[in-house]
Amino acid sequence: MLGRLRGRQDVNLWFWVFVGPFFAGLVLFIYVPIGWSVYLSFFEAYNTVTPTEFVGLANYRDMLADRAFRDSLLTFVVFAAFIVPTTFALSLLTAVLVARTRLMQAFFRSVFFLPVACSYVVAALIWKMSIFSGMRSGVANAALGLVGVSPVPWLSITDPPWYWLVIVSARLWLQVGFYMILFLAALQRVPANLYEAAAIDGAEGWQVFRHITWPQLLPASTAVLLLLLINAFQAFDEFYNILSSFGSYPPYARPPLVYLYYTALGSGQNFGDGSAGAVILTVMIAVVALAQTRLLRLGGRD
Amino acid sequence: MLHERRRYALLRWALLLVGTVLFLLPFYLLLRGALSTEADLASAEWHWLPPSWEWGNLAAVFGDRTVPMGRALLNSTVIAVTQTIGVLVLSGMAGYGLARIPYRWSNAVFWLITITLLIPAAVTFVPSFVLVSSLGWISTLRGLIIPGLFQALATFLFRQFFLSFPKEIEEAAALDGLSWWGTFWRVVVPNSGGFAAAIGTITFIGSWNAFLWPLVIGRTPDSWTVQIALSTYLTAQTSQISQLFMAALIAILPLLLMFLFLQRWIVQGVERTGISD
Amino acid sequence: MARPLRPSSSLSRRRMLALTGAGALGASLAACGDNTGRGTSASDDAGAASGGGGRPTIAQWYHQYGEAGTQEAVERYAADYPDADVTVSWKPGDYDQSTAASLLTDAGPDVFEYGNGPTIDMIKGGQVADLTDLFGDTLDDFTPSLIERMSYDGMIWAVPQVLDMQVLVYRPSLLEQAGIEPPQQIPDLVAAARELSRGDVKGLFLGNDGGAGLLGGPMLWSAGLDYLDEDQVGFEAAGAAEALTVLRTLWTDESLLLGEAQDWFDATAFTSGRAAMQWTGLWTFPAISEALGDDFGAIPWPAMEGGAPSVPVGAYGSCVSTRAQDVEAAREFVRWLWIDQTDKQLDFATSYGFHVPSRASLVPEADVLTSGPAADAAAYVTEYGHAQTPLLWTPRCATAWNDMMSRVVRDGADAQAELEALVPIVEDELERVTA
Repeated sequence: MLGRLRGRQDVNLWFWVFVGPFFAGLVLFIYVPIGWSVYLSFFEAYNTVTPTEFVGLANYRDMLADRAFRDSLLTFVVFAAFIVPTTFALSLLTAVLVARTRLMQAFFRSVFFLPVACSYVVAALIWKMSIFSGMRSGVANAALGLVGVSPVPWLSITDPPWYWLVIVSARLWLQVGFYMILFLAALQRVPANLYEAAAIDGAEGWQVFRHITWPQLLPASTAVLLLLLINAFQAFDEFYNILSSFGSYPPYARPPLVYLYYTALGSGQNFGDGSAGAVILTVMIAVVALAQTRLLRLGGRD
Repeated sequence: MLHERRRYALLRWALLLVGTVLFLLPFYLLLRGALSTEADLASAEWHWLPPSWEWGNLAAVFGDRTVPMGRALLNSTVIAVTQTIGVLVLSGMAGYGLARIPYRWSNAVFWLITITLLIPAAVTFVPSFVLVSSLGWISTLRGLIIPGLFQALATFLFRQFFLSFPKEIEEAAALDGLSWWGTFWRVVVPNSGGFAAAIGTITFIGSWNAFLWPLVIGRTPDSWTVQIALSTYLTAQTSQISQLFMAALIAILPLLLMFLFLQRWIVQGVERTGISD
Repeated sequence: MARPLRPSSSLSRRRMLALTGAGALGASLAACGDNTGRGTSASDDAGAASGGGGRPTIAQWYHQYGEAGTQEAVERYAADYPDADVTVSWKPGDYDQSTAASLLTDAGPDVFEYGNGPTIDMIKGGQVADLTDLFGDTLDDFTPSLIERMSYDGMIWAVPQVLDMQVLVYRPSLLEQAGIEPPQQIPDLVAAARELSRGDVKGLFLGNDGGAGLLGGPMLWSAGLDYLDEDQVGFEAAGAAEALTVLRTLWTDESLLLGEAQDWFDATAFTSGRAAMQWTGLWTFPAISEALGDDFGAIPWPAMEGGAPSVPVGAYGSCVSTRAQDVEAAREFVRWLWIDQTDKQLDFATSYGFHVPSRASLVPEADVLTSGPAADAAAYVTEYGHAQTPLLWTPRCATAWNDMMSRVVRDGADAQAELEALVPIVEDELERVTA
């Protein structure tokens, strides 16, 4: 054992030399704020973070009774229902396509992976001002114009809710490449002899995928689903940049973090309600993640 | 049977080509917007190529006093570089300590670190803002950089990596009389370049593209990152959309170049996260 | 929250020559730690000032005005001040939110402007200083509705700088072609908007949200109602739902232009001919007359039966933070600039775009407002002006109101039910702030 070689005395000291700086920062910037927030959530705290008026659970009651907050949770559910399956399907599809292609494989992989380097802000700009501009000269409207459809103000109208198309397609473009890489890595680990055996049995195309590839991808798939869900829960950047204007935000397509941002850090400066909302969200995401991790047995592995 | 295989190949190529066009189109639109005049962008009809190539936007973006693009680029660079170095050092050391030093409470500490992985940082932005504001770090580089230095995921990954590091080398080093410190810096670090590069590249990209935290903390133009500068004009009022496109192009160009050159590391890094096992 | 009456300015609407990007790049990192705009010697100076010698330093914040030369002007004013070193910070972007957040910290301003004066929570939270005694006998000269809007508890919390307004602009030539008079009543407006919509050209542009964010207030006023009636809910009367539903009618008639790259604060939709009428601000008038010459007119938002026409007016008020290094010096500076220096106030109001001076004695001296549609618009301020929103209308009320408006206008929700659901929220807030 390494420890024995160096003597017991040093172990405590050296452990904290190595882990201490990181751990101290983690405690200061994650545990302390969460604790402080739990504290704030029991106070009325407008425009202050050192409040004096204890209000018990009133902030929690406010937030849970707040239609806008509940709507924001619903928005998350709708968003997740759109984005999780589509990203999953598309990244799996591109991974399979790229994996099967020997010619120019690196090129195609780069093409699908490149948007991962792009920020949500830049994507929001392209989507809002170019692709889904409400003007006749917007790309989508120009394409519709070819078949004689008049321009659609994609982000202004709620019926039909075209804004979901804008939001979801932007995120798809940004994240498909990342999950494609995860699937590609998993595909490469499928033992070649399985395919050979399948070929001998006369299996073809879809059958091979269904009976050989897919079972091998299952662990990766569960991980991807978990990541997609957690990321959808954190959605902020593209919503904020596509839909907000002059510090106001419409009541539709307003996910939880966007709502919290306006409540606590907008001109409302309501840190009591904001903290209560943050605590509620933290508990929710932790429960979901914990349940999923159980499923994945990530924790059990170590 | 052969016929069927050819049909599959054809379908595959068709899908790949359509996908390629769709995935590259936004980049082209960005370039086209950046090199258009304002009037061309506002025109009623769509053109694939701008009627005239307008390079003036480049000078305009940097020449405008009210748009602190230069400063924003500088801020983003400073933040991304320091955070990358900081995360590598802090998480590398912590990961090594957790993987190798047989401290009694090592598991408890590790558990306290991994449990934070379940709570995405974005969800705790309100609490973090409260803390950072009481430290007086609003609109400062300190406030933008320091809270982002403690990445539990990076520490977790480093620990996994060091667990798989060949023990024999370290034991030899220990026999040579090297301390933990010496072993880590002289033996382990020089042999971990590839993995560190992967974590470093991913950290850099994440830091450069970060939005919510800089939005919360960077309240003055002096402390804006590139993303915040762009977002401010996108969500407030934009009279010069072509210049906004140019600014966005400048903002992603360094990253795209880096990305193309370092793609191997990133792919490796993503694979090494081990989540697809 | 409510949209600011005057949104902050644009990306490079003009190029300023004073500083180049290279200069910005070269800006030293050392300064990043302290972005208050104060000099590095600020604390020494403040100490000296309280000791009786030396000059205090004052950090003054403005949101970014769109008109060329405004920034240079306020910097010039600051440089002229003899009794302190004033550093001006010019803040593009979401000014209200970043200022509100900065007031929590020492990184905040000493003197700052805020739309319609400080919020009720800033006042009650003790974040801003009482400025009542600065006015002296000039108090009667300031537009009374603005002073009232910036007062609470018998004290005045901000000095109005200049007055901004929104108004309805139209193209007389297009209306004549269609045989339509400029609408005086809401039904005329609805009919005119429908009549003037032909293919791609729409009758009316009220912003990309169909007026949901801007015109809730004017519709209430049209019906003789308001957001609040003193410290009571003001929209409970019968006409409110009917008034708000008018905006839904315009929406379903497809008379409204939507999806514009430039929103209502810019006159591009109007000047390019995509809309025959548009709701916009007085500040677009120079751009409109440049594009259309004389072919435009300005009218207030029309009245419904039993109500009167209206225009929203607002003013940035100059406030003093109680966390200022030297509150007294900051107050003195505000008195000097926004009360004593009338020539600077007139310059600020009229040299860099169209504003109405906030003091009655200066209005006749504002040349740009003496003729044409601008003169009409300025006259509407006294005749039909309403403060944009009341002081007690908190951000929470504003958010709930805007959500409600969006549902009524865009989703076709039942206005009566939506308004009823809003009452308890507003009552809660009123109870909280008046407690």
